Amino acid sequence: MGVLLEVKNLTKKYSGLTAVNDFSFEIHRGEFVGLIGPNGAGKTTIFNLISGLERPNSGTIRFDGRDITGKKSYKIVNLGIARTFQLVRSFKFMTLLDNISVSCLSPRGKKLAKQYGIDESASSILAAVGLIDKARIPPVILPHGDLRKLQIGKALGTNPQLLLLDEPFSGLSHEEQKGITELIKKLHDDGVTVFMTGHVLRELMHLVPRVIAMHQGKYITEGLPQEVANNKIVLEAYLGKGSEDLA
Amino acid sequence: MSQNIKKYSATIKNFPSYLKDWIFTFKGGLSMLCLLFLILFPMLTQNPYFLGIFILAMIYSIFAASWDFLAGFSGQVSFGHAIFFGISAYGVSATLVFNGFTWWAALLFGMLLAVVVGFIVGIICLRLKGPYLALGTMVIAIMLLDLFKIGQLKEYLWGDQGIIGVPPLSRDAVVVYFALLIFMVSTIIILIQITKSNIGTIFKSIRDDETGAEASGINTTKYKIIAFMISSLFAGLAGGLYAMYIRSVGPLIFQPLYSFYVLIMAALGGIATISGSAIGAFTFIILSEVLRDFNRLDPTNAILTAFSNPAFIFSILLIIIIRFVSGGLLKPALERLKELWDVLLGR
Repeated sequence: MGVLLEVKNLTKKYSGLTAVNDFSFEIHRGEFVGLIGPNGAGKTTIFNLISGLERPNSGTIRFDGRDITGKKSYKIVNLGIARTFQLVRSFKFMTLLDNISVSCLSPRGKKLAKQYGIDESASSILAAVGLIDKARIPPVILPHGDLRKLQIGKALGTNPQLLLLDEPFSGLSHEEQKGITELIKKLHDDGVTVFMTGHVLRELMHLVPRVIAMHQGKYITEGLPQEVANNKIVLEAYLGKGSEDLA
Repeated sequence: MSQNIKKYSATIKNFPSYLKDWIFTFKGGLSMLCLLFLILFPMLTQNPYFLGIFILAMIYSIFAASWDFLAGFSGQVSFGHAIFFGISAYGVSATLVFNGFTWWAALLFGMLLAVVVGFIVGIICLRLKGPYLALGTMVIAIMLLDLFKIGQLKEYLWGDQGIIGVPPLSRDAVVVYFALLIFMVSTIIILIQITKSNIGTIFKSIRDDETGAEASGINTTKYKIIAFMISSLFAGLAGGLYAMYIRSVGPLIFQPLYSFYVLIMAALGGIATISGSAIGAFTFIILSEVLRDFNRLDPTNAILTAFSNPAFIFSILLIIIIRFVSGGLLKPALERLKELWDVLLGR
């Protein structure tokens, strides 16, 4: 159970706004961790910083013992951190199979995929996320739930050690949420370390054994979901001051 | 390694049956008919004027296909494609006239020169996206236009007049015609095969969503430059052939009009369809030849004079295409034809 991801004193400032303020945490190999906080807490910014889409003003990010602070995002992906986006991104005019093939063609994905062939590997990932019967259609006509699955599939194509899921449940119906939950659980059982965000506590509570809570860019607390949910500052952040009695 | 060899030999062995299947598809059948017509055309007429129109159309087909590859499949919209066209035309002309190269050596040199320039332009324009990329490439083309015009640099860049007396590919128009046909067909086949290959999948992913491609672990910088280099290789081929066909080259080859022409041709045939650019180029060249004589009917008539200018009429066409048939001017007609084809084959 070594440390897989180590974030230390991470700070990101936009002009006049500190989105992430002196944030530190660790994720161990094989763990399943949630990051919670109300809207605008800075969860997505932390993901952007880890995945290299943005550079931090200060602080370090170490992955698997290597310093990855400020590296280019494709390099970070090829070290083994894959992510999904809160707003779904897909290659709109390519078939689902090709969508996944792109990840399988990345240097890291190719190492694994070329044993079986790119198309075969992409098909097996599509089967794993439950979209194999739609392999030949482009994502423009897919419902939102399938797009979320596709995103996870695209991340899996790069053969990640650590999977960052940014709000995997947002905008989904209850049924669709169930499907994604099953999928994420299965991935975690297969040995992928999962780090996910969510602003609705209930979904995460049942899923993750450990959550980190943040508010206005600052670290608040971490621990078992029940403990965190009863934390005074967390309640304040979600419901406003003086709301402890309500909860 | 041996696995690969087995795979390739299987591909080659299966080729005849693959070809047979392909011909019976709509696209394959139509392409075969067009090819057959192009092969048989010199038997209809050996008039250098008609052959010339087709030769020019084939040169522009290569040029438009190279643009379509870059814009339609890699998402890098260039408004300065004349850069590669012109550089190669200069390279080919200079080596032919001053260094006495044979035509294929000169052509190879011109293409290499275009690839090098494509690499440089690719690096310069890396961080530019969308309209800014279009502007950036256009500006580079205009810079080259002015650079090649400068009288003080005449010793190195041949000034205003350019290079004249470039030897043709062959004295016989029919030979030139068939050489061009081979170049055009192989360009289209190669470009289509690239777009279907793994690297083509990566290009298309960059076109659809660059950040998404990066998040899939793709080094987008590298592949964008590769796309620029492949495109400039074929634009260079077209430029070299153009110089040999026109028999001279001047700084005006860099003018935005040429970059605009390819854009119109690719849009006519439908963007992101390599073979569509050939259809677009033929339509463009033949129509502009027809329109050219319009103002002779009545030289005082302003409207007829305007219509005899291909840039004018095709600009109007372009607007119509963008508004109503973004898949290409011929797409509705082709769809009708496809239905007919299916009926004929009893499907």
